[in-house]
This record gives sequence, C-alpha cells and structure tokens, in this order.
Amino acid sequence: MAAAQDTGGEAVAGKWYDDAKATYTTLIDTGHAISSAYQLINVPAGIWIDEQGRVVRPPETAAPKNQELKLGGKVIRLQGDEYVAALKDWVSKGSKSEFAMSDDEYRRRMKGRSPEEGEAEASFKLAVSLHQKGQPELAQKWWLRAQKLNPESWNYHRQDWSFTSEAGKRWMDKFKKSTGDYYPPLVLKEK
Amino acid sequence: MINRRFLLLGTGALWGAPKVGASVLYGDRETALPDTRVENGDLWIPASELARINEFTVKPQGACREDVCIPLPKALKRNGRLNLSGFARQVRQSVVNEGSTWSFGEMPVLRAGFLESRTAPDFAVQNRQGKTVRLKDFRGRKILLLTWASW
Repeated sequence: MAAAQDTGGEAVAGKWYDDAKATYTTLIDTGHAISSAYQLINVPAGIWIDEQGRVVRPPETAAPKNQELKLGGKVIRLQGDEYVAALKDWVSKGSKSEFAMSDDEYRRRMKGRSPEEGEAEASFKLAVSLHQKGQPELAQKWWLRAQKLNPESWNYHRQDWSFTSEAGKRWMDKFKKSTGDYYPPLVLKEK
Repeated sequence: MINRRFLLLGTGALWGAPKVGASVLYGDRETALPDTRVENGDLWIPASELARINEFTVKPQGACREDVCIPLPKALKRNGRLNLSGFARQVRQSVVNEGSTWSFGEMPVLRAGFLESRTAPDFAVQNRQGKTVRLKDFRGRKILLLTWASW
C-alpha cells in the first residue's frame, strides 16, 4: 500500500502512480495522516503490518534497491537490496522470519513524541487545513511553526517548500548544514 | 437565597461569549461544529459532540473511549458543554488555533498501543478515486505500508 504524503493531492502525486503502472493500493494522503500516526519524518518510509494488524517492523527507510547519491559533498545511502530481501523473507515465513522484530527490540526502538514534537504536529495539521481552505499566508505561519518546533522532520520542511520556487535550494542548504544521517543506516537485525 | 444568587451569577457569567462555529482537527479528521463558545481562550463545545471529534464519550465517570476513561473535573463541564482545550491540557495534548480552526495533537495516553503493544494505528485516507481506505479493512493480509512524496 503506497501513500503519497502530498498536500497538493492527485494533481502532483497522480502522475507518479501512472508512471509506475501501480497495481497496489494507491493513497493520496493530503493531510500526512499516516506520517502523523506513525511519527514519520522523511520519505520513503516502510512499515510492516501483519494479518492481525500488529506492527512487525516499525518505520524505517524503505528503498527498492541500493543507491548512492552524491550531493552537496555528502553521500546519501539507501540499502534497498537488503530491505527487499528481508521483506520477501517475511512474506514467505511470516512471524518465523528472522526479520520479524522481537518485542524487546521493538520497544527499544520506539519513542513517543516530545511536547514540542506534539505541538509541531498540531501546527502542521493546522497549516494543511488552512492551505486547503485557500489561506496560504496563514498556512505558511503554521508551517514555519511546525518546522521550528521539530526541525528534524524533513516532511514538514519539504511540504512547505514545495509551494515555493526555491524547494531545491532550501533542501540543499539544510542538507549541507545537517550533521545527522539523512537516512539512518538500516539495521535489519540487532547485533 | 445564597444558592439562588450563585446560580444567577453563574448563569450570567456563563455564555457571555457569542455562539460561533468552529472547525476541529484531530487525527485524520476535521469536524465542523456549528455551536461553540470561546471563553478566556478556551473552546467550549456541546459535550455530545465529543465523539464526532475524537471518539470519546462523556460519561458520569469521565470522558471514555474503549478501555480508557479520563476523569473530567467540574471546571471543564458547564451546562452540557465541555471545555475541549482544557480537556486537551489535562491529557497533555497540544492545541493550537488560527481563528475558528482548532488543531489538536495526539493524546499520549492513546499512544501506548503503537509504542508498546505494537498495534498499527488505523487511518482513513482517500485513494486516487476519492474512496476512503482504512488500514483495518486489510486485516487478514500482510501489509507493506510505504510512504513517499512528489516534492
């Protein structure tokens, strides 16, 4: 199930589904409801959910193949080959897959939102609603608030920047300044 | 006599604020409320509307949703109305507003299901055809939920 985190809706996301000739469920999540519910701060992100509605693996970077992107003097690494192999293993073996995460590991990885992150979330939703009601200046005010309160969320920054003519430049400026991994290394099994 | 004066005073101070419409955001839904009051920066809603907003119902023991019940102090209730932003503060839920649009963040008390018990949060999101899709509709199948964006 694919979910575009796109306030611009079908107009901006639809053609990508067309180009992909998607046969799976194709969602247009204009309000970023899924990022909100699963505390996602970047795309792409994948979550595995079993037949009972339990999370098998919490959110992590999900790519279809290995990629290295050299940008701004840094390297962005996507470990897609391992990810897809692990996914196939789970699909065939279910809970017996070595990649079905243990409860202990799951709880170690999960962390609730801080109060600032909580307020950022509410602010972002307010911005989306105002944007959809045709009030871009007011939306901007709350988008900026969300970005200030939770600067780690690329989703908040990039959704806002997508409505400007400077999205690429702003992304590069922030990317160059950032010290953490753009995509955290994929850890499919704890050592 | 004292009681009567108190009641009269109480009623007089009650809804000096005019009736206004409000739009409330919570989770993946936006709820239009035609009859709200704003008093001292707080949003008061008809208590009966709470379920439409966040699936909580006001009961004698408090505001309840499934197996969670949160006691409601008297100060949050008045004449069939509930102080929704006051309730938010009580449950450590963020709330911000721009004019009549109010946005409520997550309730930490409801997050244990995801953070500890591994329950995948349900959502209602439209597909390309405009049909609402819920995660729970896929029960019985393995799901790879994959987010992406055009930006």
